[in-house]
Amino acid sequence: MDFFSNFATALSVAFQVDNLFYCFVGVFLGTLIGVLPGLGPAGAMSILLPLTFKMPAATAIIMMAGIYYGAMYGGSTTSILINIPGEAASVVTTIDGHQMALQGRAGPALGIAAFGSFIAGTLGIVGLQLLSPPMVAIALRFGPPEYFSLMILGLVILTYLTQKSILKALLMAGVGILLGMVGLDNITGKPRFTMGIPKFMDGIGLIPLIMGLLGVSEVLSNVEKRIYREVKKTPIHHLLPSRKDWGQSKWAILRGSVLGFFLGILPGGGAILASFVAYAIEKRTSRTPERFGKGAIEGVAAPESANNAAASGAFIPLLTLGIPSNVLMAILIGALMIHGINPGPMLMKEHPDIFWGVIGSMYFGNVMLLALNLPLIGLWVRILRIPHSILFPLILLFCVIGAYSENYSVIDVNMMLLFGVIGYLMRKFDYEPAPLVLAFVLGPLMETALRQSLIMSDGGFMIFFTRSISIGCLLVAAVLLLTSFIPSLMKKRELVLEKET
Amino acid sequence: MVADRLSSVFWLVIGLIAIYGSVKLGIGSAREPGSGFLPLLASLSISLIALGILLQTFLKTAKSHRTFSSLWQGLRWKRSLYVCLITVGYTLIFEKLGFALSTSIFLMALLKGMESIAWGKALLISVLSTGLCYLLLSFSLESTLPKGILGF
Repeated sequence: MDFFSNFATALSVAFQVDNLFYCFVGVFLGTLIGVLPGLGPAGAMSILLPLTFKMPAATAIIMMAGIYYGAMYGGSTTSILINIPGEAASVVTTIDGHQMALQGRAGPALGIAAFGSFIAGTLGIVGLQLLSPPMVAIALRFGPPEYFSLMILGLVILTYLTQKSILKALLMAGVGILLGMVGLDNITGKPRFTMGIPKFMDGIGLIPLIMGLLGVSEVLSNVEKRIYREVKKTPIHHLLPSRKDWGQSKWAILRGSVLGFFLGILPGGGAILASFVAYAIEKRTSRTPERFGKGAIEGVAAPESANNAAASGAFIPLLTLGIPSNVLMAILIGALMIHGINPGPMLMKEHPDIFWGVIGSMYFGNVMLLALNLPLIGLWVRILRIPHSILFPLILLFCVIGAYSENYSVIDVNMMLLFGVIGYLMRKFDYEPAPLVLAFVLGPLMETALRQSLIMSDGGFMIFFTRSISIGCLLVAAVLLLTSFIPSLMKKRELVLEKET
Repeated sequence: MVADRLSSVFWLVIGLIAIYGSVKLGIGSAREPGSGFLPLLASLSISLIALGILLQTFLKTAKSHRTFSSLWQGLRWKRSLYVCLITVGYTLIFEKLGFALSTSIFLMALLKGMESIAWGKALLISVLSTGLCYLLLSFSLESTLPKGILGF
């Protein structure tokens, strides 16, 4: 009964005209970003975050969520047609997707990617709707030690899955925590690391930081490269997969959906990990693994389903625990905070419009995405032909206006530019910005949880090791860290990452 | 200069400065952690990891090292520098000249400076994009944009 009453609440919020409109705007922009190589969903979400300042909180989160899962749909288009993934979660789709396009089967490849995404996305939302209320009940029993350990685990998983050096990712997490400490200490009221600059009393702004590190740095890194995109004029027909295609893909879609959903829930996990694991499992369990890499339709169906299901799963820790499982969710947390909403287990009770509105809008968003990605495929192919020399100045303009419009301050724009240059240099020296951003958002939350835990235990650190959830999280984090430094495993990991990139 | 060596020294210095700053803030006790408690843990981690990366650069074979100059090899890095300078210039004139004029100039400078786009095309794209942005921000999103000398 609860399921249906929650479902009714979700649909009633999502069905409001404004929410429907901004859900469409979100999924449209998401698809656009997914289609355009060179700008990932994190960069795009950070750039578009200022658009939500004047919106009601529920509408804002509905739009931002739309951009997120919309990008998962759009990413497959470029992977299949031009062998360049629109975003990282579609990297694996290039392997078989582009082979299918070369064999004249671009239509079924795009079709199964869209249908697989739709089925997985919808199943993921059902899972999200079913699992969220019990998760909230569990989350309400979480105390500060559990929160602290869970956040540590999230950071460790994110650094473990980093594409570059784990040491560098851990270092970035440390820098993120430190940057999150700038400003007045919430408890003692002491200014920290403000260097006497009044602007820093409120801390470093989330918008200039993420727009600079994720948006501007991406533009600066891309303008110096020579990007050649050859969009072949191959006719795209038979978008609807045949009965044989469905027969080969149905289990891949289902397996990808379930796997992706649970990997999405994992702190630090997400769509990228889900797509790679789904592809690997599909290949391993196939009776004809030799077809993979040569245009096997399951090789498109599995990762595309997994990354969309993961996008839904990632909302569980965000909506129930208030903990972002990846950098995109950290941006969503930022959006919630800008609207004065504290994410956490009380969100469902205090702001049911946001909680259920986001879930309800995802049902509509998935239907919209199916409509956007199949009949309008020609439009996306045409957009692919827009030269980067025109796109990048416009992206940069959005960054500047976005940073300015938060406080109508040029100082914020300069801060964003500074972080843009830092982000550009970080990319050059192989330091990934994602752990920094996640740690920046988690830093103040971690500090509060750590202080509360120590006060609870009268200064005893054993509190983290005597509570089952807390010690469980810390053990997993420790195992991951230890295994990542075992030389033989390090080599294996490097090999896998080399293959991935 | 080995790229990783340079970057690790940079982070080591940042870490050490942050340790000093954290201690100055007051670490407090485990019973009552002070303002510098978590910053100290974070800056200690930064310093130790940076030291680890620095040591790695001496242990790895010379072949696996990337040099500082190799990071920009074969890339048109002057374009990135140009984009930065133009954006700084944009922030300087943004409030004085107003949104419309400064944005048109900014876009023109980027479009003309990055690729050899014809003047007419660059002008058309800049003016159209500025106009669309102005409409979107001023009317749809009710943002207050600087008016400057043109009054809009």
